[in-house]
Amino acid sequence: MTEKLQTLIIEDEELARNLLRSYLKDQPDIELIGECENGFDGVKAINDKKPDLVFLDIQMPKITGFEMIELLDFKPQIIFTTAYDQYALKAFELNAVDYLLKPFSKDRMIAAIEKVKHHIKNEENNDEKLEELSNFRSGGEFIDRIVVKDRSKIHIITVDQIRYIESLDDYVMIYTYDGRHIKQKTMKFFETNLDPKNFIRIHRSYIVQVDNIAEIQQYEKESYIVILKDSNKTKLKVSKTGYKKIKEVLHF
Amino acid sequence: MKHPLTNNYRLLGFYALFWAVIGVINIILQVLWYNVPLTYSLLDTGTNYVLYPLLGSSIWYSIRYNSLEEVSIFRLVLFHFIAASILCGIWVYISYAIYSPFISSENNFLKNGLPSKVFAGYVMYTIYLVFFYAVNYYQSLKEKIKKEGEYKALIREAELQALKSQINPHFLFNSLNSISSLTVSDPEKAQEMVINLSTFMRYSLMHNEKEMVSFSRELENIKLYLSIEKVRFGKKLNAEFEIEAHCLNAEIPNMILQPLFENAIKYGVYETTDQVTIKTTCECEGNLLKITIVNDHDSSTAKRKGEGIGLRNIRKRMEIIYNQPDLLKITDLKTSFEVQLIIPQKQALS
Repeated sequence: MTEKLQTLIIEDEELARNLLRSYLKDQPDIELIGECENGFDGVKAINDKKPDLVFLDIQMPKITGFEMIELLDFKPQIIFTTAYDQYALKAFELNAVDYLLKPFSKDRMIAAIEKVKHHIKNEENNDEKLEELSNFRSGGEFIDRIVVKDRSKIHIITVDQIRYIESLDDYVMIYTYDGRHIKQKTMKFFETNLDPKNFIRIHRSYIVQVDNIAEIQQYEKESYIVILKDSNKTKLKVSKTGYKKIKEVLHF
Repeated sequence: MKHPLTNNYRLLGFYALFWAVIGVINIILQVLWYNVPLTYSLLDTGTNYVLYPLLGSSIWYSIRYNSLEEVSIFRLVLFHFIAASILCGIWVYISYAIYSPFISSENNFLKNGLPSKVFAGYVMYTIYLVFFYAVNYYQSLKEKIKKEGEYKALIREAELQALKSQINPHFLFNSLNSISSLTVSDPEKAQEMVINLSTFMRYSLMHNEKEMVSFSRELENIKLYLSIEKVRFGKKLNAEFEIEAHCLNAEIPNMILQPLFENAIKYGVYETTDQVTIKTTCECEGNLLKITIVNDHDSSTAKRKGEGIGLRNIRKRMEIIYNQPDLLKITDLKTSFEVQLIIPQKQALS
């Protein structure tokens, strides 16, 4: 490899950044092109600078390292850093991504960089790995927020703001009380990661927030529609299994 | 289980007294009412109310090994019938051996009494049976209650142990990482942090032995904890304390505050890029020490999902120690988060 790896550090703690910087200083293959203190700046920096390698902390304010990955147009090689997160470790091992456990030694870091170089040389598919990893949720609980990016702006949508979610092939449209946001994720992801007490998959194409249902009407002999609580009285189709699920959750 | 009569001298005393009274009444009745000769009456009373109670005390062993729950009714009845017959046989045999010098060829009171004596033997056996079963039941009940009490105390102890806050590994490893960084840039500060971390760890280990500490001691430890976190978070983390001096002598459960501050850092400091102030105030009202911890909280990033495990554990621990609910009050005020801990004191603080 003739060119140096353009490297970015995304880490909220100053001391942790200092340490990484000092480790990287004399690495011949590394060129440090920037440091970010939080996920917002991180997303912007990656999309703008398109680095080869990113050291990414998982637990950061505003958005986590995992949530960041969802927002990237460009996916660099990533070495995750974390102090302690059993769930994350499981995800790393499942997806064979590189990670460093804080505190880590310089040698351990060099080994991780070597692995990354190997990945780049063999042109291994990095995107898929990261895609899968982004489906993973730290803590193994239902999600309480969704991060989306409209053009250059990042929004954090807490789940109670979601009215319903509509499937659009590889994307979903998330309808909130003050607008709609497109996101590259599957319906399956939301079906499994949103609390089923509050969100029901009423149809192949729709997941609806329970509190947002105003009415359920019979439409034809065997089919139903739900009418939502908004000024437009949005109507959504309900499938047979969807109707069963609504009945289960609302107890009627 | 030991024999209740040999194990409990009071009971033995009552037992002897009871039969003595019955015996005396019997003699008085027989001699004065039925004109039975005193010798005969003494013999009759002696065999009925002295000999039988002596022999009958052995019935205990027949019930000890034939618990009502474990043995079938048929076996039980059969066993006790056989046991009653043997005991009755022995009793009647000894009785008549004692009588023999007094029984002449002609019919008399003692000789005619044989069938009723045999009958009485069976009846007495039954009465003893009921008596001993009752004693046995009472004793096992008492033992069970005692064991249950011990068990409950053990459970309480174990629960308290489990509820005591453990040092969060996340905190530990991040602190170690900070130290690792400081060894390069500022070795003196690294040393200071190692010492602070050790002191904090030592305090948290000590709490396995002692349930209560003084508020001032706990506060010192919290300040230590915050100083360690301050090294990590820098300007982002600010702590303010407004503590009235006379509150410092209050007794509070060990390491009860640390999880509250950990929580404030987790939801206040972790989740934001702004500066966060954690303000601690306290007041003493009569027998109550009230500690209030308020932190700025950015509600835009995430909704708090009710009570985390840290707060729930504190609530439970307080409930177990003070046997009183609602000693932890939580108020979520959109931009700030307030936790109040109420700690009852044995004496009013002045």
